[in-house]
Amino acid sequence: MTAEHTSASFDTDAVIDRITRFVAEQTSTTPDTDQDLFATGLANSMFAMQLVVFLEQTYAVTVAGPDLQLSNFRTVKSMAALVGRLQAQPAAGSDV
Amino acid sequence: MSDAAASGHQDTWDLVRRDAGAWDTAGEIPRTLLTELGAAGLLCAEVHKQYGGLGLTGRDSGELTAHVGSLCSSLRSVMTSQGMAAWTIQRLGTAEQRAAFLPRLTGGRLAAVAFSEPEAGSDLGAMSARVQHDGDSVVLDGSKMWITAAAYADLIVVIARSGDGAVAVVVPVDTPGVRIEKIPHPMGCRAAGHAQVHLEGVRLPAANVLGGAALALPFLITTALAYGRMSVAWGCVGILRGCLAAVTEHAATRRQFGRPIGEHQLVARRIAELYAAERIATGVCRDAAEHWEAGSPELVISTVLAKHVSATQAVRGSASAVQAMASAGAVDGHVVARAYRDAKLMEIIEGSSEICQLELARHALATGKSTARKEPAQ
Repeated sequence: MTAEHTSASFDTDAVIDRITRFVAEQTSTTPDTDQDLFATGLANSMFAMQLVVFLEQTYAVTVAGPDLQLSNFRTVKSMAALVGRLQAQPAAGSDV
Repeated sequence: MSDAAASGHQDTWDLVRRDAGAWDTAGEIPRTLLTELGAAGLLCAEVHKQYGGLGLTGRDSGELTAHVGSLCSSLRSVMTSQGMAAWTIQRLGTAEQRAAFLPRLTGGRLAAVAFSEPEAGSDLGAMSARVQHDGDSVVLDGSKMWITAAAYADLIVVIARSGDGAVAVVVPVDTPGVRIEKIPHPMGCRAAGHAQVHLEGVRLPAANVLGGAALALPFLITTALAYGRMSVAWGCVGILRGCLAAVTEHAATRRQFGRPIGEHQLVARRIAELYAAERIATGVCRDAAEHWEAGSPELVISTVLAKHVSATQAVRGSASAVQAMASAGAVDGHVVARAYRDAKLMEIIEGSSEICQLELARHALATGKSTARKEPAQ
């Protein structure tokens, strides 16, 4: 998988698209971008952890400590927002 | 290979090999040994060097875990607990918390992680231990059950409810209100220090709450357990390797009806079963370890698979080993007798086989035919 964090500007639509594809691959269902993946039964805690690792690998970010909130993973949009926020931060302390 | 990590301590491993049977019978590992291994970084070998750890990869750490598991599953269980505590601190803690706690875990202090409760085993969602915030402090109440290595631990990472969510709190066992009650006679891993942990009005600095904020309980459990499951899986590989070594030596030298028993076909079949079990368990563990090293999301489900398959194989393989060794292995403390009892516990802890099967089935149902789709492109 290629790291997609190299593009200079943060392309929210591309991130939303990529996350949507991952969820679709893993659940055989294409979610709406603001669909609650947990409330609608698409995701459980196992899948939540897959999402964490997926975002970390795909976008070269570290989701640690307080960012491991379910609310950050509830929808495709909230995940894209998390990625945007983490990429805007300096990479300090990313030793997870 | 972790032989690098293991080989520097040959005298220690020889001692473990020699004394593991006695520890099993006595229900205790000498604390000095645990402290020594801890201070050498060997009990949580994946902790990064900046925190005094060995910084091993998942694969090398796994091979080290299997090596220890081949000698003594009780000691390997202590490693699993220490490693899971370190992983939880690493994964959930802030940079300050990592810097505060991880060097203790690589400096000879011992640690455990407390999930299960009298009314919350497989159904961890039923847990009732709770923290209340009180200014700069938190107060912790509850009872934890069957906590591996808690009888040895200086620090216990306790999972508890907090508001609508859950937290992991680092609890020094010398805090007033903490009481550790050793389980007298566990069926397996008898020297792993299983204990009940009673927490009554335990007041701690809020800085001991990993990450500071409450998380969703299932999320927190899944995250913390992932390391433990991987470690148990490698431990089962070790159980099988210990059995294989004992059985092949015995079957080549023990003679009945005028020839080594390994030449009798029904005994040979046992050896083949055991060999196959060890290869299968090693295969699923290596596959999962590759996903961990690649940072692939597949690591989540491959870890469950590795734990489930390795534990199942360890139970089958150790039963074959006892049968092939017959009376030579039928004494408590013998490596195959321990394996037989220890392996059975591995089907129960860190997610029973049934819980693992439910997760595997759910994954298979959700991904459907896309499971066979493709290997992840690198």
